[in-house]
Amino acid sequence: MPTTEVLARRYRRLLRCYPRDWRRARAAEVIALLLDAAPAGRTRPTAREAVDLVRAGLRCRLGRPASRTVVAWAALATVICGLFAGALASRAAWETSRPQPDRAEAAAILSEVFPGHDLGDIDTPPALFVVYGHPLTLRNVRSVLLGDGGEYQESATGAGATGAPPVPAEQIVAVARLRLTDGGWRVYDPEVSGGVSCADKLCATPMEITDTTLVARRGDTILNASISSQTAVDATYLAVELHRAPPPAVVPAGVLGALLGAAAGWLVFGWASRRTEGRRVSGTAASILFGVTMVLWWLPVLLTAPYLFTHHLAEPHPAWHPPWEWLGQPTASLLFLVGAVCALLALGLAAGPRRDRSPVALVG
Amino acid sequence: MREPTFLILTALANGPRHGYGIVREVADLSAGRVTLLAGTLYTALDRLAAEGLIAHDHDETVDGRLRRYYRLTGGGITALEAETARLRQLTTAAEARLRHLRSRPA
Repeated sequence: MPTTEVLARRYRRLLRCYPRDWRRARAAEVIALLLDAAPAGRTRPTAREAVDLVRAGLRCRLGRPASRTVVAWAALATVICGLFAGALASRAAWETSRPQPDRAEAAAILSEVFPGHDLGDIDTPPALFVVYGHPLTLRNVRSVLLGDGGEYQESATGAGATGAPPVPAEQIVAVARLRLTDGGWRVYDPEVSGGVSCADKLCATPMEITDTTLVARRGDTILNASISSQTAVDATYLAVELHRAPPPAVVPAGVLGALLGAAAGWLVFGWASRRTEGRRVSGTAASILFGVTMVLWWLPVLLTAPYLFTHHLAEPHPAWHPPWEWLGQPTASLLFLVGAVCALLALGLAAGPRRDRSPVALVG
Repeated sequence: MREPTFLILTALANGPRHGYGIVREVADLSAGRVTLLAGTLYTALDRLAAEGLIAHDHDETVDGRLRRYYRLTGGGITALEAETARLRQLTTAAEARLRHLRSRPA
């Protein structure tokens, strides 16, 4: 095959970054220019040419060539679609996790780390993620959507010891740290907070107490223990929760989902932008719906992410909070759903018949 | 107006040109400083056409390759004149100040 044809085929492949209509109207002249500019014997596009064609093709997919803001809007849509898709993919990857520790596993850990404490019944959860202790089902999905989304959290196997601690709280913490370290756990610096405990209803004799939070991780298991120095008979002085760390598939699945979601976001935004270009009524309506979607999707992210970042730095975290929590979901799932409905309406408007625009208009 | 846009309009000021002709003319006008790549050129052509500054003129096929010619529109001529006047005013002001600077004793 002549080198010119090989080069033309490779240029044509790069032009797939442009929308099909544009390619039909302009590909021949662009390839002619590229071949005219290429020195004899070249068989491959240069990296600079390839980057330029990809960049220009992606811009062309947005339509509205004279617009100064369309790229910024596309970037907003692309990033948020990537973030949501990444979060969704990471949630799906959570399904590769082992179930939360069962009674036998929890009892072995508790007797190893907290010997001599009567931790009573071990409470095991029904699912990896729960809403008010129950798996997410069609029955309780309504409460998640209508304000209780923050209750959708990773579950934990829990146990607690009540009454007066048999030894001082400091000793419980010290022994637990020692045993955790000996057992191969990575132990994080304990967090100690002060408080007041009352022996009676009138709180005639308030007592200063301390609460120590101990966090450790071994493999895919995370231990959270809360040790209180309180001595009331009916209060819990030791509460322990065991739960799973994110499985290894979460990060690659999240990254892949984010990349695919971002690509889909750019392409779908570009399609809708080109379809609504030059349409006065439906184009304006689609733009307003798109703007509402962006506000409803971005607002929880902008409000939640900085708060969660501060929280993450302030306390020891053996594992990051799940990505959807960084996006304010499912706490703000109602906003997300309303935004999704607006986005679908905008896409519905975009799917309607359109006026012929450039490049056909330019060359016709 | 950015420099590549100004150069493209200037390249079309003395008659319709096809894509590769514009690239070569822009390189000549800028003394080789500005080399337009195909993607950048057609992004600019689409934008200028959408703004009504250029239009498709005619097509030719040379050695089996399509050459599509573009020309300045009335709006394009006006925009180029306005930008040229703006640049001339700036150049004149800069030259006057440089002359004044050079004439001052060291």
